[in-house]
Amino acid sequence: MAFDLEVNGTSFSVDADPQTPLLWVIRDQVGLTGTKFSCGIAQCGACTVHVDGQPIRSCSFPASAAVGRSITTIEGLSADGSHPVQLAWKEFDVPQCGYCQSGMIMSAMALLDKNPDPTDADIDAGITNICRCSTYHRVRKAVHRAAELLKGQGA
Amino acid sequence: MSHSSSRTRRNGAGDLDRREFLAASAAAGGAFVLGFWLPSKSAQAAIVAGAPWYEETGTPEVNAWIVIEPDDTVTVRIAQTELGQGVWTSNAMMVCEELQCDWNKVRPQYASANRDARESAPEWTLNVMGEGAYDPAGGGEPLFRDREPVRGIPDSLYRRMRTNEASSVRDGRYYLQLAGAEARERLLLAAAAEWDVPATELSAKDSVISHRGSDRTTTYGAVAHLAAETPHPDPDAIRIKPPGEWTLMGREQKNLDVPAKVTGAAVYGIDVRMPGMKWAAVRACPVYGGDVESFDFDAIRDRPGVRSAHHLPIPDPSLLRGREFSGAVAVVADTWYQAKTALDDLPIAWDIPGDRAALNTAGMHGTLLSALSQPGRVRVDEGDVDSAIAGANRVVEATYSTPYLPRARMEPGNATVLVTDERVDIWIGDQSPQETRRSASRITGLAEQDVFIHLCHLGGGFGRNGNGPQAEQALMIANANRGTPIHLLWTREEDFIGTTYRAMGVARLRAGLDAEGWPVGLEVRTAMQEDGFGPTSSFDVASRYFTPNYRFSNHTADFHIPCGTRRGVGQAAHEFYRESFMNELAHAAGKDPYLYRRELIARTDLPHRDDMIKALDLVAEMADWGSPLPQGTARAIALEEKGAEARGTATISAMIHTVSISREGVLRLERVDVALDQGFSLINPLSVKKQIEGQIVWFYNDAMHQANTVLGGRIVENNFHRFSVSRLAEDPPEINIQFFETEHWMRGMGHDRATSVQSGIGDAIFQITGKRLRDLPFSQNDLSWG
Repeated sequence: MAFDLEVNGTSFSVDADPQTPLLWVIRDQVGLTGTKFSCGIAQCGACTVHVDGQPIRSCSFPASAAVGRSITTIEGLSADGSHPVQLAWKEFDVPQCGYCQSGMIMSAMALLDKNPDPTDADIDAGITNICRCSTYHRVRKAVHRAAELLKGQGA
Repeated sequence: MSHSSSRTRRNGAGDLDRREFLAASAAAGGAFVLGFWLPSKSAQAAIVAGAPWYEETGTPEVNAWIVIEPDDTVTVRIAQTELGQGVWTSNAMMVCEELQCDWNKVRPQYASANRDARESAPEWTLNVMGEGAYDPAGGGEPLFRDREPVRGIPDSLYRRMRTNEASSVRDGRYYLQLAGAEARERLLLAAAAEWDVPATELSAKDSVISHRGSDRTTTYGAVAHLAAETPHPDPDAIRIKPPGEWTLMGREQKNLDVPAKVTGAAVYGIDVRMPGMKWAAVRACPVYGGDVESFDFDAIRDRPGVRSAHHLPIPDPSLLRGREFSGAVAVVADTWYQAKTALDDLPIAWDIPGDRAALNTAGMHGTLLSALSQPGRVRVDEGDVDSAIAGANRVVEATYSTPYLPRARMEPGNATVLVTDERVDIWIGDQSPQETRRSASRITGLAEQDVFIHLCHLGGGFGRNGNGPQAEQALMIANANRGTPIHLLWTREEDFIGTTYRAMGVARLRAGLDAEGWPVGLEVRTAMQEDGFGPTSSFDVASRYFTPNYRFSNHTADFHIPCGTRRGVGQAAHEFYRESFMNELAHAAGKDPYLYRRELIARTDLPHRDDMIKALDLVAEMADWGSPLPQGTARAIALEEKGAEARGTATISAMIHTVSISREGVLRLERVDVALDQGFSLINPLSVKKQIEGQIVWFYNDAMHQANTVLGGRIVENNFHRFSVSRLAEDPPEINIQFFETEHWMRGMGHDRATSVQSGIGDAIFQITGKRLRDLPFSQNDLSWG
């Protein structure tokens, strides 16, 4: 079945079973591979994208449910790594293997949208993605730094 | 055995024209074209310039590791795989320290495993020892000595392409420094020839060559073509810098792979796309050693996108270090989701060995435990341990258990393979491409010289990724579909079948103490699966603490779970046994666990004794050991070492873990203090800190949450709803790391630090709740108190 999806501000015409998880449509049809597959059961968050600004785990979210809504992936933050969250991530050299980091960054972004000045406890409760390399220690610091950068931007 | 499979392709789709592929690549000006094959006609191609794998370059290389473009961009070939440990950066640092190029223009790229099959290593790399500690000057010389082959390091072009045992720096530093130095000398010679001056009058810094005595300067980029054509006349005269002369190494450098990992641009194996590529989903028999009896392809043949199904026999164990996995069924379709959902509905009958289907964890654990009632095969026997314990003032005995554990990397197993009658191309994140090259040759019948492995970043490693048969399965499918690129991808559940496990183990430690509480004899018995990870010495609970009488013996059991290296290997378990028992002995003796350890180490004559004492003293100072703590909070200290028993490389650390437990039983690792040996020097201290932070949480998970159990011969926990991985909320709020200098080279940093989180949490639980828990993981117990 053919339908349209709006990803990072661009409309894409795709052809898939409407029950296909959004993750696979983004990766295989829209062609954006920054969003990752890991567990397939909405546990780990590696596939986190935003739909109308809300973080969702795209491995378990039917693509058809995103029709007419605005989808943002890691590629939508910035192509050159200049988004404040990406800058903070680089400042603290957060990623190790990096596989979970697209999802981690999208979860952090969603948290900061709701709560521009999170405490450690807010971060711990608000970001539930799995990182097997355990970059958590630097994630926490980078979220605080990103909050500062975003405030400095007047965002 | 019967099965139906089909190689019939419909709609004429699926065949990749090799010329088309090459043309597409060329059109992108050397960048790799990732074409998206779409079921609809709206095919599009995306160019990914950031692909990490080896590329032939139009610019001639100075040597096999180094290409310098006219604009001074330096490509450094990396023969290890970046899986989060920072090897892209640290290997490049080892080369560039000597090259003296502009670090801001360095671009790592994976080395070619194909060239490695075709070319020999330069002579000047061969006389280099693999164990840096044998370098008596602690650095640069003497470098060239009589040829002595280094165990496990081949003489092929890039020497050792494995990524394991935390050995990338230990085994590669000499020849990587030499590669940089050889190139630098040739660049200087090229400039000297152009100016007709002695090379000794030239110096190089940040890719600029200057002539003393005149104002002339030139750049590496300007002379690289001449350097590339001119061999060094006397490479044996080249020396490498000792740590005292380093200006790049030993200083924190941001990791070069990080920028692409915050934009989603980094290319992992799962991200590879090829024109005409088809996807394969796989289901292996859930009981290792089982195979496919039959499957009914007709039931899914007409589903959208489905192309074929294949029986994959049990992969040849000789390609997988003797490990036996399972037979499997693969479904090939246009998209992975089509393949996966079709496979979900494919009727499969398994052929499962009955004896294996009867196995479960409780029985296997019982077998190991019952073996401990007798001494096993004696590995170490010093003094007369039986008499010493019999005559002791007091005897302390404890039995510990550690479960099967997987690596559970984030990126599920995958590989993209194109087999033609001429060559094999494999796109994969792989910790051992030299072994995968051999698998490709054996499965396709083509020569290793015709195998091209395009290395991708790896979404987690944690113990040689190539242990599992993802490459072998993909090769089998692609070999049956020659001309069509096949991208195999495992589900998370399949990844738990395709991995090897850290072996389940048990240990009984028994010590006799004298009237003052010092051990007069120690007996250790262990039992574990046979060949769990090669030599049983991995599980040797060899005493680093003085005891005049000591015996270690072990038992092995023949279980069917494929076991292999996992982060920390045997050390993770054996340091849990040893350090937990040291805490128990100190408590029994009524002594301070820090001072008890310190005294027992001081009584030894181990080569690294003083370093171990230094580590304990430093960490005690860092954590303010002995200062008061709130009720419900406790500290535990531990020693970690690798190589303390012999002269040579070693890694020594001591850690103090501060743990709180609420009355309701909620445990939190509050703070970790780490005193870590840095040898003569670390390479990239930033990466070391990141590794330590990660390993703390890795072993926290081992201590608290993780275990794989076996029921009916099958691994039970096969996704993250059953196999628990901690999130941010359990990360310790405070981690303090201090390095201290020692007089040896480092054994490695990537996998066996912070094992003491296990013994530390165990002892804190005892101190706070009075419960002495000896079976991991601890979270299976009620930790409430008061």
